[in-house]
Amino acid sequence: MLSLLKIEWMKVKNYRTFWILLIITVASIPGINYTLYDLMDNSFPKGRNGKTMLLGSPFAFPDAWQTVTWNASLIFLIPALLIITLVTNEFSFKTHRQNIIDGWNRKEFITLKLIEVLMLCILCTLTVFLTTMAFGLIANKVDPGVSIWQDSRFILFYFIQVLSYSMIALLISILIRRSGLSIGVFFIYMLIEQVFVGIMRGKYKIQQVNYLPEEVTDKLIPFPYAKALLARDTPQWEHLIPSLITVAFLYLLLYLFLTTRRFLKSDL
Amino acid sequence: MSSILSIQSVTKFYGPIRALHKVSFDVPSGAVFGVLGPNGSGKTTLLGIIMDVLKASEGSYSWFGEPPSEKHRQQIGTLLETPNFYHYLSGERNLRIAAAIKKKGEDDIPRVLEMVKLTDRKDSKFNTYSLGMKQRLAIASCLLGNPSVLVFDEPTNGLDPVGIAQIRQLIKDLSREGKTIIMASHLLDEVEKVCDHVAILQKGQLLMAGRIDEVLTNEDFIELGVDNGGLEQLRSVLSGLSGVRRLKEQEGHIQLYFENGGISLAEINRYCFGQGVVLNHLQLRKKSLESKFMELTKK
Repeated sequence: MLSLLKIEWMKVKNYRTFWILLIITVASIPGINYTLYDLMDNSFPKGRNGKTMLLGSPFAFPDAWQTVTWNASLIFLIPALLIITLVTNEFSFKTHRQNIIDGWNRKEFITLKLIEVLMLCILCTLTVFLTTMAFGLIANKVDPGVSIWQDSRFILFYFIQVLSYSMIALLISILIRRSGLSIGVFFIYMLIEQVFVGIMRGKYKIQQVNYLPEEVTDKLIPFPYAKALLARDTPQWEHLIPSLITVAFLYLLLYLFLTTRRFLKSDL
Repeated sequence: MSSILSIQSVTKFYGPIRALHKVSFDVPSGAVFGVLGPNGSGKTTLLGIIMDVLKASEGSYSWFGEPPSEKHRQQIGTLLETPNFYHYLSGERNLRIAAAIKKKGEDDIPRVLEMVKLTDRKDSKFNTYSLGMKQRLAIASCLLGNPSVLVFDEPTNGLDPVGIAQIRQLIKDLSREGKTIIMASHLLDEVEKVCDHVAILQKGQLLMAGRIDEVLTNEDFIELGVDNGGLEQLRSVLSGLSGVRRLKEQEGHIQLYFENGGISLAEINRYCFGQGVVLNHLQLRKKSLESKFMELTKK
């Protein structure tokens, strides 16, 4: 497997678009967090303790976990863009055929793409972790009596979320094969689902929309600001977590199944 | 001779379109095997199936007498349809990827680049290559690790006349080294010039397969001519000959087809003269692959 990964590395190491997208992906996580942090710091009146009265201090522990992961999930499109680019490139250059012709089997090819997705998600999660540490430890003082690991489960939730977005991006790339169209379909689906969920929940009070592919992982990381006002939802959310994770996991299995099946069985 | 590749009643549907219908043939070891057919006859589909990039709807195939696997493909140099490389990488880096997938060392890369005369452009990006250079890089990639079997789909596509001659020479040289070459082409003279075996496809049906001289041999004919007015007499004289399979009049000549074996020109000449017919034209004609092909695909 290591030698196969080395070949995958040969494909990308001299590919400038890959590096640009990768740097944007990694940089955008602290970037968006800093932007929102800065906005909050300057836009809201502060009380005597240095906390904004309305928002509390979302970037201090323990809330930093939820805030940073939620902010990072706003830019879900960027890692997806990287995945779609790398996978649809193979189709447009027809190198997915050539790799098989030259002596990979189809399973090796698709496994490597899955590993790439996994590695990218680990990298994003690691970046989110370091960003959280930076905001929680450097930009804010840790209150006495607060464990910095309290609520660190949001890191796991973020990983599940970014993995599931990325797997959707991979599935769409494998099915559609063309980069522009894949990006469009991915983005529009995400948008439509949000609108649909908003209407169903707001107007018709249908809660099952929580379990749609995108919403199920979004729901894992609730809106982190103004918690004082919205705290009434918290117990209900706690209650939902196990089922959200279970459904998210089932979706991941489904994406995995559809992606590999498509690549193993169909004409290339 | 053992079979390198054996294809057993392979059928392929693209939706309702039948691209291949029960195609079966064997490619013997050491053959230069031409897969011949007009555009859209299923040549590339067939090669795609034996390379596992397409899935046959029915039928099976085997490489080296074994069920196909990626291990076999690593031992075969294949150029399918178009040169497929990473556009943003140089020619050499592309070959490194191919060599790594084939599990061959990188030390063979300079040799194959030299063989296709791409050494001085090896560091240029693939997307700066001309069509002919792309094709040559693809052929270089096939030659990596000196495989004993080569599969070429339209190998002279996009090449200039010098390039075409070079590739033909290369194929002959490779064949002389004992390699098995499977080559698809719609260029008949190309197949005729380099191949010793041929399979002819039309609309997904295999019309015939075999040694090229067997496919063509019993199609030799003798063309005879006489001065004006003598054609009828010649016809009746010739029909008295034993072993004649068919007599055909064409463009003022008579074409004489024999059962296998045939007869020497001298004997014919002597016979006709003995019957009082003086020939002004007497020629042994080998049916070209082209006319054979036209005849077969016309049906």
